[in-house]
Amino acid sequence: MSFALTTALEQNAERALPKPIGIATTSILEHIRHGCFQRSLCLIVSATSVASGLEVGYEHYKGSYSNPIMYTPVLLSGALAGSSLLGVFSRWGAQVLLRCVSAATLADGVIGFFFHVRGVARKPGGWSLPVTNIVMGPPIFAPLLFGTSAYLGWMASYLRREEELHSVGAKVQEITSTLPGSSDWRRDLRHGRFQKHLSAITILWAFFSGFEALYSHYKSNFRYKAQWTPVLLTPLLMAAAAGAIKSPRIANTALPAVSALALADGAAGFYYHARGIAKRPGGLKKPLYNILYGPPIFAPLLFAACGFLGLLASLLRREREK
Amino acid sequence: MSMLNHHGHRLGSMQTLPAPMRKYADRETVDYCIVGAGSAGGVLAQRLARAGFRIVALEAGPFWDTEKDWVSDERGSHELYWNDLRITGGKDPLALGANNSGKGVGGGSVHWAAFAPRFHPSDFRVYSEDSVGADWPISYWDLKPYYELLEQEIPVAGPAWFPWGDPHGYPYGPHPLGGVGDVLVRGCAKLGLRSVAGGPVAILSASHGDRPHCIYRGFCIQGCKVGAKASTLITHVPDAIDHGAEIRALSMAARISLHDDGRVDGVLYIDRDGNEHFQRARAVIVSGYAIETPRLLLNSACSGHRHGLANSSGTLGQYLMAQAGNVVAGRFDELIRLYKAPPAHALSEEFYETDKRRDFARGFAIQTVGPLPAAFAKQMMNAMGAWGWGLRRVMMDMNHWATIGVLGEILPWEDNRVELAEEKDQYGLRVAKVTFNLHDNDKKLIEFGKKRVMEVMWAAGAEQVVQESRYAHLVGAARMGSDPATSVVDKFGRTHDIPNLFVCDGSILPTQGSANPGLTIQALAARTADYLIKQGDAIFFSNRRDQCEPGIRYDLSPPYTNFKGNPRVA
Amino acid sequence: MKQKSYPLRPTGGEIRDLAQPGYYSGFSTLAQKKKWDETTRQVVTERVEKVPPLRFFSSGEAELLTAIVSRVIPQDDRAADRMIPVHPAIDERLFKNELNGFRYEDMPPDREAYRLGLKAIDEMAQKRFHEPFVSLTVHRQELILKSLHDGKPDPAHRIWQRMPVHRFWTLLAEDCVTAYYSHPWAWDEIGFGGPAYPRGYMRLENGLPEPWEVDEQRYDWNAPVDSLSELDEQGAPPEQVLPQAHGSSS
Ligand SMILES: Cc1cc2nc3c(=O)[nH]c(=O)nc-3n(C[C@H](O)[C@H](O)[C@H](O)COP(=O)(O)OP(=O)(O)OC[C@H]3O[C@@H](n4cnc5c(N)ncnc54)[C@H](O)[C@@H]3O)c2cc1C
Ligand code: SF4
Repeated sequence: MSFALTTALEQNAERALPKPIGIATTSILEHIRHGCFQRSLCLIVSATSVASGLEVGYEHYKGSYSNPIMYTPVLLSGALAGSSLLGVFSRWGAQVLLRCVSAATLADGVIGFFFHVRGVARKPGGWSLPVTNIVMGPPIFAPLLFGTSAYLGWMASYLRREEELHSVGAKVQEITSTLPGSSDWRRDLRHGRFQKHLSAITILWAFFSGFEALYSHYKSNFRYKAQWTPVLLTPLLMAAAAGAIKSPRIANTALPAVSALALADGAAGFYYHARGIAKRPGGLKKPLYNILYGPPIFAPLLFAACGFLGLLASLLRREREK
Repeated sequence: MSMLNHHGHRLGSMQTLPAPMRKYADRETVDYCIVGAGSAGGVLAQRLARAGFRIVALEAGPFWDTEKDWVSDERGSHELYWNDLRITGGKDPLALGANNSGKGVGGGSVHWAAFAPRFHPSDFRVYSEDSVGADWPISYWDLKPYYELLEQEIPVAGPAWFPWGDPHGYPYGPHPLGGVGDVLVRGCAKLGLRSVAGGPVAILSASHGDRPHCIYRGFCIQGCKVGAKASTLITHVPDAIDHGAEIRALSMAARISLHDDGRVDGVLYIDRDGNEHFQRARAVIVSGYAIETPRLLLNSACSGHRHGLANSSGTLGQYLMAQAGNVVAGRFDELIRLYKAPPAHALSEEFYETDKRRDFARGFAIQTVGPLPAAFAKQMMNAMGAWGWGLRRVMMDMNHWATIGVLGEILPWEDNRVELAEEKDQYGLRVAKVTFNLHDNDKKLIEFGKKRVMEVMWAAGAEQVVQESRYAHLVGAARMGSDPATSVVDKFGRTHDIPNLFVCDGSILPTQGSANPGLTIQALAARTADYLIKQGDAIFFSNRRDQCEPGIRYDLSPPYTNFKGNPRVA
Repeated sequence: MKQKSYPLRPTGGEIRDLAQPGYYSGFSTLAQKKKWDETTRQVVTERVEKVPPLRFFSSGEAELLTAIVSRVIPQDDRAADRMIPVHPAIDERLFKNELNGFRYEDMPPDREAYRLGLKAIDEMAQKRFHEPFVSLTVHRQELILKSLHDGKPDPAHRIWQRMPVHRFWTLLAEDCVTAYYSHPWAWDEIGFGGPAYPRGYMRLENGLPEPWEVDEQRYDWNAPVDSLSELDEQGAPPEQVLPQAHGSSS
């Protein structure tokens, strides 16, 4: 391993930052490296599910809940937010409840994907007008994007809790886990050895949210140059994440760099989308309608989340070789 | 894929007509013969058939196959309208034809823009509140449950909160705004007027059973080939057929026959080849539109009813109303492309009610309109006096213009009426003559309304604003009331004179507010149907007049009505 | 249809033979034909390819009508093979006696109205300029038509006592614009998207073009500036002058 991001960061933190912050940083990095961040990830999952719950809530309101099944993602993201929040405080919540709810939500995402594909097919012209009907039909990958946040919850359920980092039992486990032949993905997760795994998730997430950015910006004819940025960053991020699966070097260099860009781009996008909503006819006098039909306010955040995942991946340890 | 189903009679891009349809022989006596399968007729036929009655609906026009008969083209849609001759006159003659009524199954709901606001509670008490016009024999609250039900059945898309009249929310979510809606909302917001965006409009903002989501193509008035816009052709008629009703197209009712006992016993009609037939029925409901309904009743005059059937009051044909429909056009520096999105997608009812500070009673609504090129060219001719090179030049700028309409209440006046002209149509029937005059209150209201809408246009940033006078939505002419001396039908649409003859369509409206009448017409039809069902055989065998409210039936809706749509706030 | 050159053109420059006037160069609705539904494709294609023969008007009347129509909706800027057939559409409507659903009580039936109107116009030309309408210069033709447009026939003619001149003008002009603006070449000229089913629109706001539409490219279109049918600056005829209260509210 020629260059390890975490080592470099730790060294820098010790040297450059004021002492308390430096210590906090190294401690965070250590927790991440060892997979002891269940509570934090639960908190993050809870936040993303609130965001995606709100998004699916209003998107399906636009779609008039014309099929009762459209309520399921709204209810499930509430449940996911709740159970991951519980997971912050309770081990049982994180390991049992969150795991079940995440699995259900994931399944719902797949079912939703099927319905969205069917929705596009049922538009006049169906798949013979792919561009128009993907742009105007139900957002085709949105359910899968929604599922990815559930997948994160599912992963969180396997992590160790923060306080377990230096516990004796954990140390023992850690050692036994390194014994040859004992490798197992669950163990890897428990010990923060899932860099490749998370990189793979990053690829998917980037694809889903980048594709949404592509067609919705295409829908408004790329009126602003900035609308190209998520579209261009997506393949870069996907490539970096794919590279990270292959090479630890890329995982520690290109991946964090591109991910940070995506994160920043998402944040900027959030600002532009909010501004776009305010500038619509009626502006803030019609907040509900303009959030409904203005630029989708949560979409850039989901893109940013994808950058965040890439960053996280770059800080993890790699899986054990079989 | 269902879209590619090329077989059968198509109703929109996915739905097909249920086959086969039940057929009655002329000699068979049916329970109800309905004249006109339009907005009201379609709903009536569906309800009555579901309740088990034997129904024949005679429809003068064709039974549309939306895929074969309709086009996505302005001029090619000429056939949707009632193009037979009518004479129009008076001091302010109304343009009829394309501007007014439909012909063919679905009637006017085939080419309506599908704006579907409710009337306000005050509309039912105009005389009590403003000492003009007339009161209805029913109140808003009698009709409210039917509004809610129809909004669910057809269904209506609109805001979660509609702040005017009796505030309420809509079952289907609002539509995205097009360029014209943006102008309306922006202009209103600048002036501090409230507006609603994306409805209320009977166009699907989500799929609904086998009807798809709107594709925002803007050809609503040309008939929606997509099947996204509600018309009784696709919302109620298929269910009527499923339950045994016969919709007999290309059958023009010529007269209603009165038996010696003072009850009607059937309808004489003319088929597509010009042959006469007689359909026997135990009761007849006329739902032929505010011009054809009085015309048919007038043409059915016979001994004992020398001035037309059910015209002992002499008010048949009178109190015809239109709404002021001035179109205000504004030219903007930036492009609008007004042909996109349904014409109906944003409105404001800030000026709906009487305001004592003004010198006229009642008010108006502000609504988007979306003319296609030929219609827009005509508007520019009228509004700017454009012709020749000047017209070519403004038309080249069409994409810079936005159009917003006034929809103003015109009161019912005795001298605005439908009579028979001397001329005859291709069936040898005397045609209708429509007389229309504006009165003082109407003129003041129009003047005020068009100024306000022009201000909205300026406020939205237009650099040039012009306007054209026109009228829309004919109703009245066989009005309902409690007093047989001043009205034609009672509060359930039963004629005061003949116990088994009913009128149910826009003609029975005593006043019409500033809301588009379609939803109200359908709600009234559903209510009349509930009454007839409740009365059962009593209508057929007795002359007793029961005026008790029937109570609403929630079990007679077409499929897909329940468990759909956003939860309602109110 | 013979193209008529425009005799008075002091400031308007040469009128070019444009295949496509208007600001949407390169936009063609007909090029989108494949995306339309079958019925619409047939109806619109037929409109372009099959010009109906003259069956209602006599050849003399047809020539007169053509001259009138060429001033009501002039096409001198269009290349000869891109002229939109207007008078054949009127002839066809009258031949089939297709009604628009009503007649004003003070008007004769459409067929008769046209015959009367044509007669009056020709006789007005004779009386005022001692020549048949078709032989007049464009400017003189416009003088006569403008007097009808303004509702003040000059010279007066007895037919206009029987038939209100503004109603006849509306009848004629509406038939002309209906024929012109329902032709796909006119749609290309004004940037209208044309038929839109099964493919609808996705860019509803801000005047954005669909991927297959073209953005506006403005230039100085060279209509003859001295034509009597050009609009003056603000366009509105005097009786419709706007309230001065630009942007003011109540
Ligand atoms: C361009 C346009 C836009 C409109 N937009 C709106 C809108 O946005 N919102 C709204 O609420 N309203 C709108 N309307 C008005 C609406 O369409 C009518 O008010 C409504 O359809 C009237 O319903 P009805 O039942 O009275 O008659 P119709 O729906 O017209 O039905 C009458 C039927 O009876 C048939 N018929 C008549 N006489 C006979 C006979 N003798 N024998 C057999 N059949 C006969 C006719 O063919 C027709 O099918 C619009 C109208 C037009 C023209
Ligand atoms: S705009 Fe929508 S409702 Fe109107 S015709 Fe098109 S698809 Fe139908």
